[in-house]
Amino acid sequence: MINLDFLNPAENNNVLEQEEANEYMENLSVPTFEIPLVHNPVEFLKHQTHAAEQCRLSIVHGTTTLAFKFKHGVIVCVDSRATSGTYIASQTVKKVIEINPYLLGTMAGGAADCSYWERELGRRCRLYELRNKERISVAAASKLLCNMVYAYKGMGLSMGTMVCGWDKKGPGLYYVDNDGTRLEGDLFSVGSGSTFAYGILDSGFKYDMTPEEAYDLGRRAIYHATFRDSASGGIVSCYHVKQDGWTLISRTNVKELHYKYQDEPKAPLV
Amino acid sequence: MALAGEDFCIVAADTRQSDGYHINCRYAPKAHQLSDKTVIGTSGFYADGLNFVKKIKQRMEWYFHQHDKTMSTTAIAQLISIMLYQKRFFPYYVFCVIGGIDENGKGCVYSYDSVGNAERVQYQAAGSGNELLQPFLDSQIGLKNRSNENETLNLTEEMAIKIVKDAFSSVTERDIHTGDCVEIYIIRKDGVECQKYPLKRD
Amino acid sequence: MFLTRSEYDRGVNTFSPEGRLFQVEYAIEAIKMGSTAIGIQTSEGVILAVEKRITSTLLEPSSIEKILEIDSHVGCAMSGLNADARTMIDHARVQAQNHTFVYDEPIKIESITQAICDLALRFGEGAQGEESIMSRPFGVALLIAGCDENGPQLFHADPSGTFTKYQAKAIGSGSEGAQTELQENYHKSLTLKEAETLSLKVLKQVMEEKVNSVNVQLCSVTPNEGFHIYSEEEVNEIINTL
Repeated sequence: MINLDFLNPAENNNVLEQEEANEYMENLSVPTFEIPLVHNPVEFLKHQTHAAEQCRLSIVHGTTTLAFKFKHGVIVCVDSRATSGTYIASQTVKKVIEINPYLLGTMAGGAADCSYWERELGRRCRLYELRNKERISVAAASKLLCNMVYAYKGMGLSMGTMVCGWDKKGPGLYYVDNDGTRLEGDLFSVGSGSTFAYGILDSGFKYDMTPEEAYDLGRRAIYHATFRDSASGGIVSCYHVKQDGWTLISRTNVKELHYKYQDEPKAPLV
Repeated sequence: MALAGEDFCIVAADTRQSDGYHINCRYAPKAHQLSDKTVIGTSGFYADGLNFVKKIKQRMEWYFHQHDKTMSTTAIAQLISIMLYQKRFFPYYVFCVIGGIDENGKGCVYSYDSVGNAERVQYQAAGSGNELLQPFLDSQIGLKNRSNENETLNLTEEMAIKIVKDAFSSVTERDIHTGDCVEIYIIRKDGVECQKYPLKRD
Repeated sequence: MFLTRSEYDRGVNTFSPEGRLFQVEYAIEAIKMGSTAIGIQTSEGVILAVEKRITSTLLEPSSIEKILEIDSHVGCAMSGLNADARTMIDHARVQAQNHTFVYDEPIKIESITQAICDLALRFGEGAQGEESIMSRPFGVALLIAGCDENGPQLFHADPSGTFTKYQAKAIGSGSEGAQTELQENYHKSLTLKEAETLSLKVLKQVMEEKVNSVNVQLCSVTPNEGFHIYSEEEVNEIINTL
């Protein structure tokens, strides 16, 4: 039997109607995403966005972010460069996402993926707070985020984030990524420049540092990562999460840090 | 491209629509007025751009009837980010910038990638001439890496329009996808004005 | 009078020959059995006050919640079947958060009231073929107080899905007496402090028990501070001035 119909017209109509209804209701409690009408949507998307494919739809990438727990809370430091291929798309990206006044998320991987899902996380945390009359724990918040992205595993999301905050248990720090990994830890660094940052962090980390020492360690680690990783750079932002919420400590241009550290005496090797 | 001044904002786009080395149309507007405070500029795949603008206008219309007010520039900025992200797995092939006046009467520009990563900036170039235009703006408006650190720019409307015209005529010299005509939308507190200037047609 | 209704008050979506929906009217009656709630709008903010019925000395008063937060700029007081109100308020909270998610701005008070009222009529099938989600109308009335770009506002929503804007409104069992009292004492230049006292004064008159810091709940919604529930000490202070 010969059948020339590519798509059943009736079925196609339904899809459109459904889409209109969804949009009209604006009901985002279950976010809906449009999937291309092709045999394998994931392969199709890879073809559109993968770097090797001449970058038809370049998506912003590249980063160094770090966060660590110490005696006085959690320090979060990030750079601010976004690259798309070899082109620097922006030098002023805010890679620390302020989920709410006591929760921070960092951004590494696809910028849109991180900002969208952490915005969604913010919405859910707020609803949790209204319903339960208490703030969500860092553990629960990171688990929410982890479950959200896990539902899209294998679809090509790209996200490596650290959820930082303070709850009844004290300072909290969790690493969550697009594979659905969720780890609790004292010290993480994520992104293309993370290995360089780890080098500085591990050698300089002491649990009972003063806050000033901790800010300097964070900034120094990011600075050295921007020095060796060309996908990192711009401005170094530093946040401190304390019991009563986070505060922005500094935003420093890498140029200033370069001259500052250049003039310092080098530590003896032995 | 778009750039923001203290109390005004400019969104400009050329009107050439081309496919590879072939010019399809010499007057295909890429900048669209969304409200009397906001203008959007799109680049990328032209049909996606038109369709996307149409959808934004539809959402704005619904919003107007539902909430009895016109969407503010910041609300449009967030909506665009969400709308682009909802097509995360089948993206619109559009790179858009929006320019407008925010609630405090200040000029503002938002730039996006194709899946909805948004950033508020002072100036932004998007599209095929992006890599030629952005460094020019960095130098003229951003005053990046000047020897005099305290240099500040008091950007007036006339200066801004001059820079925009220079930018487009320069890009037309070196980018095959840019040319024919440039439409400059000037968004002020009291409304939007559109000026058109011819560019080289080669 | 009830004899004539017997045939037409069974189905929730059947009109009587006179053109009335009895089930909806009965739902409105249900509110008149509820505890009294009062809302007063002033230019500085809105005050909501409710009575709590402490039916037993063994009852834990803090477990009765009749004022709830919808978002940091909107609060809500209820009278009638409290369980129904929780469904509506949760819906309102989700709508408010969705609005902020998409538009990066707080939702308008009128829009959030509209969202609640949309839900109130979901006992029949929807116009676009949406499934009905309830078997009966809600048995609760709400006073929705909030501040947005149009200033402090007070709305009243009832089970028929109608909403009206008020300067001062009382609902619940003592509403008739309280509303007359409000009408006599309300004027446009009322301050927030005066509204606090007025709301408790009116409650005092319609409540069977003596007013104390445990059997009333008071909240304010102001442009700067947003939603705030008064602590027992704060309520006591106001009671002492009565």
